[in-house]
Amino acid sequence: MSNKAIKIIAAALAVQLQVSVFNTLQAQGILGGHVTGNVQFDGQLSRRDTVIGSSDVPEKLLSNARADILYTNGNFSAGLRYEAYLSPMLGFNSQYSGQGIANYFVSYKTQTFAVTAGHFYEQFGNGMTLRAYEDRYLGLDNAIRGIDVVYRPWNGVTLKGLIGQQRYYWDTRGLVRGVDAEVSLNDIVNSWTEAKTRLTLGGSFVSKYEGDETILSDISGYKLNLPQNVGAGSLRMDLAHGGFGLQAEYARKGQDPSIMNNYIYKTGEALWISASYSQKGLSANIQAKRVDNMGFKSVRSVSGEMLYINYTPSITKQHTYAFLSMYPYATQSTGEMGLQADFMYKFKKETLLGGKYGTDIHINGSLVTGLDTTVIGGKGTDGYTSTFFGTGDTYYGDLSLEVAKKLSSKVKLTGTYGYMVFNPIVEGHEGDLHHNHILVADLTWKINRKNVLRFEAEWMGSDSKYDANVDDKRAGDWIMGLVEYNFTSAWFVSVSDQYAYKDGIGNYYNISVGYTKNATRLQLGYGKQREGIICIGGVCRQVPASNGLTFSLTTSF
Amino acid sequence: MKRILKSIATIACAATLLASCDKIDSNEYLVFSGAAGEWFDGNGVSDHSQRAIIEKYTGVRCVNCPTADVAINDALAQYGDKLIALAIHDSSSFTRPIGDNPRLSTEDGNTWSNYFGVRAAGEYPAGLISRTLNGSAWDLFTPTSGINNRVDNILNNDAQVAVAVDATSNDNAMTINVNLEFLQTVADKLTVTLLIMEDGLVVTQRQPDGSDDENYVHNHVLRDVITDIWGADIDCTGASGEKRVALFNYTPASSEWNLANCHIVAMVSKKDSREILNVAECHID
Repeated sequence: MSNKAIKIIAAALAVQLQVSVFNTLQAQGILGGHVTGNVQFDGQLSRRDTVIGSSDVPEKLLSNARADILYTNGNFSAGLRYEAYLSPMLGFNSQYSGQGIANYFVSYKTQTFAVTAGHFYEQFGNGMTLRAYEDRYLGLDNAIRGIDVVYRPWNGVTLKGLIGQQRYYWDTRGLVRGVDAEVSLNDIVNSWTEAKTRLTLGGSFVSKYEGDETILSDISGYKLNLPQNVGAGSLRMDLAHGGFGLQAEYARKGQDPSIMNNYIYKTGEALWISASYSQKGLSANIQAKRVDNMGFKSVRSVSGEMLYINYTPSITKQHTYAFLSMYPYATQSTGEMGLQADFMYKFKKETLLGGKYGTDIHINGSLVTGLDTTVIGGKGTDGYTSTFFGTGDTYYGDLSLEVAKKLSSKVKLTGTYGYMVFNPIVEGHEGDLHHNHILVADLTWKINRKNVLRFEAEWMGSDSKYDANVDDKRAGDWIMGLVEYNFTSAWFVSVSDQYAYKDGIGNYYNISVGYTKNATRLQLGYGKQREGIICIGGVCRQVPASNGLTFSLTTSF
Repeated sequence: MKRILKSIATIACAATLLASCDKIDSNEYLVFSGAAGEWFDGNGVSDHSQRAIIEKYTGVRCVNCPTADVAINDALAQYGDKLIALAIHDSSSFTRPIGDNPRLSTEDGNTWSNYFGVRAAGEYPAGLISRTLNGSAWDLFTPTSGINNRVDNILNNDAQVAVAVDATSNDNAMTINVNLEFLQTVADKLTVTLLIMEDGLVVTQRQPDGSDDENYVHNHVLRDVITDIWGADIDCTGASGEKRVALFNYTPASSEWNLANCHIVAMVSKKDSREILNVAECHID
């Protein structure tokens, strides 16, 4: 038996052992507290397919597994997460390869005070100065290992302070320090307590330390004089009055030459504004943001998605349908301007447009452009200047109209039209703008309490054409069909196929079977995965092509 | 209100503790990579040319030396920046000034003259191109002819090491950058020799007809060797593709030199054999 096979079996046994031990711990209770947790195992087998570009996997089986265990006893809690990437699934960074305790902490919390030692996740405001978070589907984990303190000296006042290093796969890097304060004026000003208008103000300051290193300039013999302490600060407000809401945050960052900005010394800034109104059956929201050189990492020379200290809120809709999400937008922390409007309305029952059951419409539009910049130099200079209200190239545009209507007590139809403009430059390569039209019909038939049938049909017409030199397998015109059957409330099976019928390549069929019982879910799938990009909240990762079996097990206790 | 003030004070204190951001002035974005004379990874050399240097041992009382100057000037015109000329006045009797003219001799030039056997041979002018050997002896020749074939022998080969030099002077403090890029793997230990030479020196020169030309213009006159006379060691592996850079500081030895007429020459040599692999020249900005 090969070492790889032994490793795979050992990993499976380890997961099984952990489940057994945790169940025992839970049954017994530990020192008056209790143990909860969850286990997830995802596996993948893929083989070569020259059409879609997938390769044979030397290990045959790739797997990502994790088990989170949380012990709580009154105000005290402790937890750990065991992760095993043997070897990492396609699309996940190979530096994850290995297994071990990736996250551990102890925490003590009261109503006014909380302290966490070990790994923790934290966010200041919208995250524009600090957001330590994890998204397992992106393979992203910016957890900080250190000390996090939250103190509420008075009702309505929250102070936070933290210091630590960020997770970098199986290592920690950098040094991050931060403070945040948030004050709800309605809670601390007696005369405002009952006011209809509610106002919360906040501010944060985060700094990182990184020692000197040799980054050569473009001028021979000279290196960059690097700032070793880089700070970022922000001010924010949250104003609400009845159904109206207005949130805003403005952040600035000091000189921070890094690989992301080609080692320029320009300071960074970002502004995010969101205005909303909602009432029963109606909601409207408009957001705007401007980001200029605001990438902030704890290690200046690391590219990719790891080690980000901050996060720039996404301003484009996160679509769920396949073709609408085929070209997701990746936030450009180096510079972008964006505007998004979102409107939802429910036509009431027994009206002309509402019919017998009512009709929901959802309109969303967004536009993101580059900045209007003037280049003044390269590495080791201020890089460029930009005008605050000026715009550059179009990066992304998206307009979608979704209408959802119950046709009968058992049948619901959702129809969506989307128009999308996409600039390949946001994925790092030059090319013409893509213009896509997308239609989606989604029909759900609730046959009875235990049987639900769902049909989905999608079409995408695009002016993009497959070019072997560029090898973007999303190009061309596509159709897709999906049938999903949920039965006995526990089982589901779905069959789908995506086919590039014009100017593209690829036929991506998939079949999935799933079973759910209590808190345990098992899913098996077989088919082809198109090479592409997935984005969650504007943060993206590459997904390579695959052809084969996938399976996943999740359970919690 | 008291609570608000307390909150603000707390935040201000914490922010002050953390607000230790470094701010770097725009004129300090770049710093030299290390101590003077140290070698670091560089960005390479854009001009991969092979060049040659002709060292002419000469003297103001040498009647055939003006003829050599004509031949060398012709060669310079022919080869352009691929050929660099250096005029070395050693301490032979030919270099004794005529009248009250300044002496152009240098101690460094005299050392080289002795090492390469010019003084011992006693024949002036003497030329040596890129310090090449003819058999086991230095290929000394009379540079009134025979320059082209020697230069061609060198320029017809691809450069093993590309060299670039640039120099700036500020209040008489000179910084000189030397960049190297290995175009082929070189196993020998190498040195770089930096020198300063001056053009446009009007000093009386004896002519072939025995007369003295008081308005004779001497060019490429060696003024000083900036590094050790046999060069500074180059810290490198010599592997093809390697790029190295070093900065050297220098204060001109005499305030009488006109830096506007001066050039810096960088010679990359094999440490053991003294043969010059490549050479570069620059003005002083």
